[in-house]
Amino acid sequence: MLSCSKVSKTYVTERGPMEAVNGIDLDLPAGGFTAVVGPSGSGKSSLLAMIGGLSRPTGGAVRIEGTDIWALPDDRLAHFRNGRIGFVFQFPSLLPTLRVVDNVALPALLARRCDSSSVYQRASELLDRLGVSQHLDAYPGEISAGEQRRAAIARALINAPALLLADEPTSDLDAATEGEIMEQFRELTRADAMTLLMVTHNLRLAEQADRIVHIAGGRLQA
Amino acid sequence: MPDGPHFRFLLGSLALQNLGRRKARALLLVAAMTVCSGALLTGAVLMRSIETSMAVGFTRLGADMLIVPAGTLTNITAALLTAEPTELTLDDDMLPRLAELKGVRKIAPQLIFRTDASGYGRGGDLVDLIAFDPARDMTVQPWLEQHLDRPLRQGDVIVGGRRQEALGSELLLFGRPLVVYGRLGKTAVGTHERGLFITFETLAQLREVMQQICGTKAALEPNKLSGVLLELAPGATTQQIRFAALANFPGIKVVAGDTMLTSIRQGLAGLLNGMLGLMAIMFASAMLMVSVLFSAIVTERRRELGLLRAIGARRGQVLGVLLTEAALATGAGGLAGCVVGVLLMRVYEHSLVYHLENLGIPFVWLNGGTMALIALLCILFASLIGAAGALCPAWRASREEPYDLIRSEG
Repeated sequence: MLSCSKVSKTYVTERGPMEAVNGIDLDLPAGGFTAVVGPSGSGKSSLLAMIGGLSRPTGGAVRIEGTDIWALPDDRLAHFRNGRIGFVFQFPSLLPTLRVVDNVALPALLARRCDSSSVYQRASELLDRLGVSQHLDAYPGEISAGEQRRAAIARALINAPALLLADEPTSDLDAATEGEIMEQFRELTRADAMTLLMVTHNLRLAEQADRIVHIAGGRLQA
Repeated sequence: MPDGPHFRFLLGSLALQNLGRRKARALLLVAAMTVCSGALLTGAVLMRSIETSMAVGFTRLGADMLIVPAGTLTNITAALLTAEPTELTLDDDMLPRLAELKGVRKIAPQLIFRTDASGYGRGGDLVDLIAFDPARDMTVQPWLEQHLDRPLRQGDVIVGGRRQEALGSELLLFGRPLVVYGRLGKTAVGTHERGLFITFETLAQLREVMQQICGTKAALEPNKLSGVLLELAPGATTQQIRFAALANFPGIKVVAGDTMLTSIRQGLAGLLNGMLGLMAIMFASAMLMVSVLFSAIVTERRRELGLLRAIGARRGQVLGVLLTEAALATGAGGLAGCVVGVLLMRVYEHSLVYHLENLGIPFVWLNGGTMALIALLCILFASLIGAAGALCPAWRASREEPYDLIRSEG
């Protein structure tokens, strides 16, 4: 489902080049929950960004469902990201000027695959499934951090992606909310057969995944 | 598949609400564009009105120069309104080359035929029949005080200010009926006040009968002129044109009008062009200001733009959101500017224009339709300035990688 082949990322800084990811090979089958664990600065977020089509690797290739995503022209990559990849970030990522339901519907409206009434219908269903249906018309600033994170998950799921990428998705949440979010992730991989790749520095959270991958100094650890 | 209406509405709403997030900043931007747009509307309408007023008022003061055949006796007055009645003529094939002389802005050919055999009045009255070209004329039509409610056409005659014929009545010249189309104001220039003005086409229509009655005259041959009135371009001097004309056209005499009037006309034209230049500078400054402001806005919202890209927005869509935002703000400023401009014009109407008209200087406002069109163009221009100003920072942001946008602090 996902295949990374010698993926590298070198940033150019004022102090010279800095190697964040160094020739990582990673293969994930369809379905299942994988956690990438490593300390801060180990390159795990950079790896996730390259897998998600957000940051071009300086070397290697990323294939998702057989498509070499970095060989795609920019607009087609945007289209691929929109349809096949969902993102949950470590910070509040809803657009503050749009209602919660608009935020969730936005990726599907961008996809232009179906009419807006069915998009909003699906957005409402997802928000209901994630327990935030009472806040459809609220603005992100009017709901709690946990509710915002659930709405962000709903947004990531709106186009039924094959791959869900989560970068420290519970870093700023309390323990109870963290538990609920993790339970929803497990449910998604079980019920929806979705492939979930989560980056975290929290080994306790990683232990809830089906598979754990360790990364340090930009390289996978045995 | 094109973007759906709901999606476009959502992006438009995103742009609008983004403006609402920093109300003070958005209001300052709107206020700056209000000033620019208000100044543009007021300036453009006043400039055009002054130009029209000049066309009516200054043209009445006559041409800057007159070219006649050498040997013609000329009666120098402050106002060069017509050529002089003379037996001498010029060939009209000189006109294209004369019009191309550097410093010549407009030329108006005329032919004057003085006769007592036209049958006009009691039968033997002396008449100056003046043929002119309505498309190039600058000294006849500006003096029209009364005229029929239709354009001038072949078979019409315009009578000088001292003539008494009623508008629309028939006037017999050389036994041919002509319709009195209009009457000129009094100019204190005898030939002009007593003249009967017809187009060259009407003259051609009368030529055969005139030749039968008056015999062979040089002025009645085709393609002949009695003189050409000239208006100079801004910056040109009467001396410069005199030398150029004498060098290029042998057998002519060049008569200059009142140089002070020429200087005032040229000075005002230069002033209007200067105002236009100042407005261009003002709008260029506004565009730079929008650009600086949107550089800051883009920096502030890098993470949001990155998020939009992450969820699948194309570069063009991100660019579109930012440009829409800029165009909405400056367009709103443009609209407010038009309201301010209209109020300013009301103030001018009750002050400057009122005083000018009290002094007998006519001020011709543009008509409502033209003003509305200029206002619409001001709003459109303000929107374009906003979009153009935001283009550079928005373009740069849209070219960045989504991850670089997301991880920056903003």
